[in-house]
Amino acid sequence: MIEAKEITKFYGKGESRFQVLKNISIKINDGDFTVILGASGSGKSTLLNTLSSLERPDSGSIFYDERDITTFSESELTKLRRDNIGFIFQQYYLLPNMNVDKNVKMGADLSGNKNYRSVIEAVGLGGKLRKYPSELSGGEQQRVSVARALAKNPKVLFLDEPTGALDEETGRQVLDYICALQNEYGFTIVMVTHNLNIAEMADTVIKMNSGKISEIYANETRKTAYEIGW
Amino acid sequence: MLIGIKDIAKLFAISVVTCCAAFVCTLFLNYNIDIVGIKDEITTPQGMVMYDAQVATGKVVAGIAGGCLVATTIVLLIFYVKNYIDSHGKELGILKALGYSDLSVAKHFWVFGVSVFAGAVIGYAAAALYMPTFYDIQNNMELFPQMKPEFHVSLVLYIIAFPTVFFMLLAVLYAFFKIKSPVLGLLRETQNVKFKVSKSDKGDFPFLTDLKKSTLKSRKILVFFVGFSAFCFSAMTQMSMSMDELASEAMSFMIISIGLILAFMTLFMSLTSVVKSNTKTIAMMKVFGYSQRECSGSILGGYRPISYVGFVIGTAYQYLLLRIMVDVVFADFENMPEFHFNFEALAISAVTFLAAYEMILYCYSKKISGQSVKSIMLE
Repeated sequence: MIEAKEITKFYGKGESRFQVLKNISIKINDGDFTVILGASGSGKSTLLNTLSSLERPDSGSIFYDERDITTFSESELTKLRRDNIGFIFQQYYLLPNMNVDKNVKMGADLSGNKNYRSVIEAVGLGGKLRKYPSELSGGEQQRVSVARALAKNPKVLFLDEPTGALDEETGRQVLDYICALQNEYGFTIVMVTHNLNIAEMADTVIKMNSGKISEIYANETRKTAYEIGW
Repeated sequence: MLIGIKDIAKLFAISVVTCCAAFVCTLFLNYNIDIVGIKDEITTPQGMVMYDAQVATGKVVAGIAGGCLVATTIVLLIFYVKNYIDSHGKELGILKALGYSDLSVAKHFWVFGVSVFAGAVIGYAAAALYMPTFYDIQNNMELFPQMKPEFHVSLVLYIIAFPTVFFMLLAVLYAFFKIKSPVLGLLRETQNVKFKVSKSDKGDFPFLTDLKKSTLKSRKILVFFVGFSAFCFSAMTQMSMSMDELASEAMSFMIISIGLILAFMTLFMSLTSVVKSNTKTIAMMKVFGYSQRECSGSILGGYRPISYVGFVIGTAYQYLLLRIMVDVVFADFENMPEFHFNFEALAISAVTFLAAYEMILYCYSKKISGQSVKSIMLE
C-alpha cells in the first residue's frame, strides 16, 4: 500500500514561490487502479512525481508498505524504483538509437526478466522488434513504453497522461492493453489524466484542484477502454 | 541574427587548436623563409648539411603539426556546425517553412569561421612575440650567420586570411548541405536517426552492454576525438621527453604545451558532448532505477578502451616520427646523438595519462549523478 500523509510541495523562490501541493493525504491499495483527475495546473503531475519518488515533498511523509520513503537517500530511492516501480509518460521517452527489443530490455534487465518478449507480443509489437522508435507511429511508441514499463514486473505502474498524445482509437487500444496486463499481473496503477471519461475505468478517482484534493470517490464498476466516452 | 554570440563562444576549442597551428606554422615557416635569405652566406659543407636539415625540419614540423591541427580544425568545425543544426533543427525548420531558402539560412554560418580567425590572430601574434627568443636560441648555436626575424606579408595571408576565408566557406557549405533535408525532418529532428541493422542489433546482450555500444556508434566523431585526445597526450608528452638530446628545451616545452592543450581541450569537449547528448537517456535510466554507477559506466565506459588505443597509436607515432627525423632528415649530420625508444618517457606518460583520464572520467560521472530525473519532464 502507498500512503501519503500531509504532503506539501512548493516551486519557485522569493516572490514567485507558490504552493503546488497543499497538505495532500491519500491511500492507494495494492492492485487498485487509481486515477488522479484534474485540469492543467491542478498539481496532479507533481503529486504523481512525488508519490513515485521522482520528486521529494517539502513536508509530509510517503509510506510504501510502512516505510517512509521521504527519509530515503538517493541510492535507496533508486533501489525502490528499480524493484517496485514502472513509468509511462505522455511523451514516451524511448531511447532513439535503440530498437523496440532493446528499449524493452531496458526495463526487463532490471528484474532479470528473460521472457520480456512475451510482453512485447502482448502489446501487439511482436513483429516490430527491430524497428527504431522513429519508424513507429505514436500509438506503437506508447505501446513500446508500456512494454518497457511492464517488462520489469513492477508492483506499481505510474502513468502520466499516457494517452495525451494519441488519437482516440490508439488511446483506447493502449488503455485496453494496460488493463488487460493489470488483470494478468495484478500490479497497482496510478494514472494522471484530465480526461473525465478515462476516470470511469478506475477503482478510485482522486480529483484535484489548485493543489488540493477536491473529491475522492470509488467507481461501483470499472468500465473498459471501449465502454467509455472520449 | 540566427547564430548568437553564446553559440560562437562555444567554439573556443576551435580557436585553441587554430591558435596552436598558427603558432607552430608561423614560427617555423618564418624561420625557413629567413634562412633561405642567408643561404649564399653558408660556405662550409657541414653548414650546408645543417642548412638542408634545418629547412627540412621546418617543413616537416610545420607540415605535420600544422597539417594535423588544420585537419582537427576541419573535423571540429564540421562537428560544431552539425551539432548546432541538430540542436536547432526546429528553428531552422521553421525558417525554411516560412520560405527562407537553404542558402539564405546557411550563409549565417559564416560566423563559425570567426573562431578560426580569432585563434589564427592570437597564434600569429604569440609566435611574433616569441620569435626573437626563438631566433636567439638558433643564433646561439652558431650554426649559421646571425639572423633577425623579418616580417612576411605572405605568412599573414597564408596563416590568417586564407584559413579564415576557407573555414567560413566550409561552414556555410556544410550547413547548406545539412539544411537541405526536408522541412519536416528538421522539425521532427529525425534526420539523425539511422536504421542500419548491425550485428549487435541481432545479438542478445544485456541492456547496459547494448547501450554502451549504441552510445559509441551514435556519435562516431566523439570516438575519434577521445582517441585523438589520448593520441595527442601520448605522442606529444613522449616526444617532448625523448627530444632532450635532439632539440632545444624551448622546442620540447612547445611540443608538450601544444600536446596537453589539444589533448585536454578535445577530451573536455568530447565528454561534455557525450553527457549532454545522453541527458534524456541518463534521466530515463535513473527513473527506471539504474544506479549512478550503471549510468556513468554505460555512457562513458565505452570510451575507455578507445583512449587506450589512442595512447598506443600515439606512442608508436612519436617513435616512428623521431626515427624518421634521425635516420632520414638528419642522416648526414655527423654529431647526431643516438636515438632509442624511451621507456622511461612511456612509463611517465602512461601513469600520468591514466591518472588524469580516470580523474576526468570521475568528474564527469559526478556530473551525471547530479543530473535531475526531472530534466526529461521540463521540455
